[in-house]
Amino acid sequence: MLTVKDVTLRFGGLTAVNNVSLEIKDGAIYGLIGPNGAGKTTFFNLISGVYIPNEGEIIFDGVKLNGKRCFEINHIGMSRTYQVINLFKKMTVVENVMVGLHPKLKSGYFAAVLGTKKQREEEQEALKKALDWLDFVGLRENAYDMSGSLSYGKQRLLEIVRALASNPKLLLLDEPAAGMNSTEKVELYDILRKIQKLGVTILMIEHDMKLMMGITDYIFVLNYGKKLAEGTPAEVQHNPEVIAAYLGED
Amino acid sequence: MKQSKALKAALAVVLLLVPILLRNFNYGILICGFIGIYIVAISGLDLVFGYCGQISMGHAAFFAIGAYGSALLHKYVQLPILLTMVLAAIIAAVIGALLAYPASKLVFHFLSLATVAFGEIVYQLVAQSPGGITGNFTGFYTESINLLGFKINTNFRFYYFALACVCVFLLMKHRLVKSREGRAFLAIRENAHAANGMGINVRNYKIVAFATSAFYTAFAGAMYAHYVRFISPETFSNKQSVMFLTMLLFGGTASLSGPVLGAIAVLLLNEGLRFAERYQMLIYGIMLLVVILLMPGGIYGVIKKQLDKRRVVD
Repeated sequence: MLTVKDVTLRFGGLTAVNNVSLEIKDGAIYGLIGPNGAGKTTFFNLISGVYIPNEGEIIFDGVKLNGKRCFEINHIGMSRTYQVINLFKKMTVVENVMVGLHPKLKSGYFAAVLGTKKQREEEQEALKKALDWLDFVGLRENAYDMSGSLSYGKQRLLEIVRALASNPKLLLLDEPAAGMNSTEKVELYDILRKIQKLGVTILMIEHDMKLMMGITDYIFVLNYGKKLAEGTPAEVQHNPEVIAAYLGED
Repeated sequence: MKQSKALKAALAVVLLLVPILLRNFNYGILICGFIGIYIVAISGLDLVFGYCGQISMGHAAFFAIGAYGSALLHKYVQLPILLTMVLAAIIAAVIGALLAYPASKLVFHFLSLATVAFGEIVYQLVAQSPGGITGNFTGFYTESINLLGFKINTNFRFYYFALACVCVFLLMKHRLVKSREGRAFLAIRENAHAANGMGINVRNYKIVAFATSAFYTAFAGAMYAHYVRFISPETFSNKQSVMFLTMLLFGGTASLSGPVLGAIAVLLLNEGLRFAERYQMLIYGIMLLVVILLMPGGIYGVIKKQLDKRRVVD
């Protein structure tokens, strides 16, 4: 599904992502871990089109992504959430999800201005679909609240469901559990399983190791922009290099 | 629900009766006509500024393109006036799109400078036109709107014409902002980065917002030209752009009613303060400061807050 081949990204003299290769296959939940500053979020930005790699290739669903812009990559079927919550704060919760549906809707500008029957029906349909998505993560009762007024944990869930609304094949989650309390984390676990059942492949960055080890099928470890290790959670956990990187041994 | 419908019907009746109630006060009807023109102009500015979050400090330029475009097309191509108004607005939309294409890359403060420059360029072109085609500072005379022989040449008639225009333009705006396109505008205002990530072509939508906005304001400019029947460059200086922004911010952005309230409030204030005309810019400045510091949502924001409070109590 996603093949990253020898990808390097430099900011001036700093090499943020250094010759990283990895392969993601359909249907599994993948983890991306590493100490702070290892380049995890930068790696996400790279595959989702925020940055263009200096070297290497990114191929998603048979399409070369290098140089494609974020919105184009979203249309190909990759959607994401953000480490810092990036909701449309002064829009309602359901409107946020409807923005997520944007690439799925067909009606154009003039259909909207003229208020054609087809456009109105599509809007009705979109609203219904958005509310269904809110049910999916249990935010239905907040549908008409301003998204900026939600609790932190709920904002994280809204980010996830907003990204899901475009029916992506691959979902990138950047620290979905950050700021969540333990109850919310259990909910998140269930939701991630439900997403997997929809046939969506997940690649997630997360610092909560208990969650990561419990839910992922396969983990990549980044350190100083390089891929340090990869394997099943058990393999990674017992990898001496990974342990050294986390504990700061030499 | 029932109550709001009754309220709307009452409002419609009042609006239709205004010229009859004011029949002995022609000047009042005249002002109401101007209010209609400004509602259309500012509703357009609101689309790009209030909804899409892109500032324009040069919207007087589109007002000018609409006014001169329609007047010139009528005089030199001899097209019927309503058609020239629409054509001039379309020309303005195209120019708006061409301006937005490079400007869509600029961040807020650079965009504001670019639009100031654009406003100044159009002003200079109008004031010192090639071959004096606009009449430069002597001004340019044009005719009233002629709807298949029915001349809209009195304040009374223009009032109804303006009312119809306001209804059409507000309806289009309402539909647009409640659609997929409108949500894209808002998403760009709220967080352009995330909008991009959600599959929205941010640059295209900024261009669409700008072009639509130009269409509105230019149409209002054309209304102005055929209402007053005389246009001259002073009407289209940066003072006009500042007045647009003052009206919009004072009334409240990103709503249907905000621009309406803003146009009414600022125009009435202008009339009330006729004796202090030389201090007009000072007054706008003070109004802008008051709005920005004390009531960021404008008049509409204040009213909405009160209504929301009451709803919560209920």
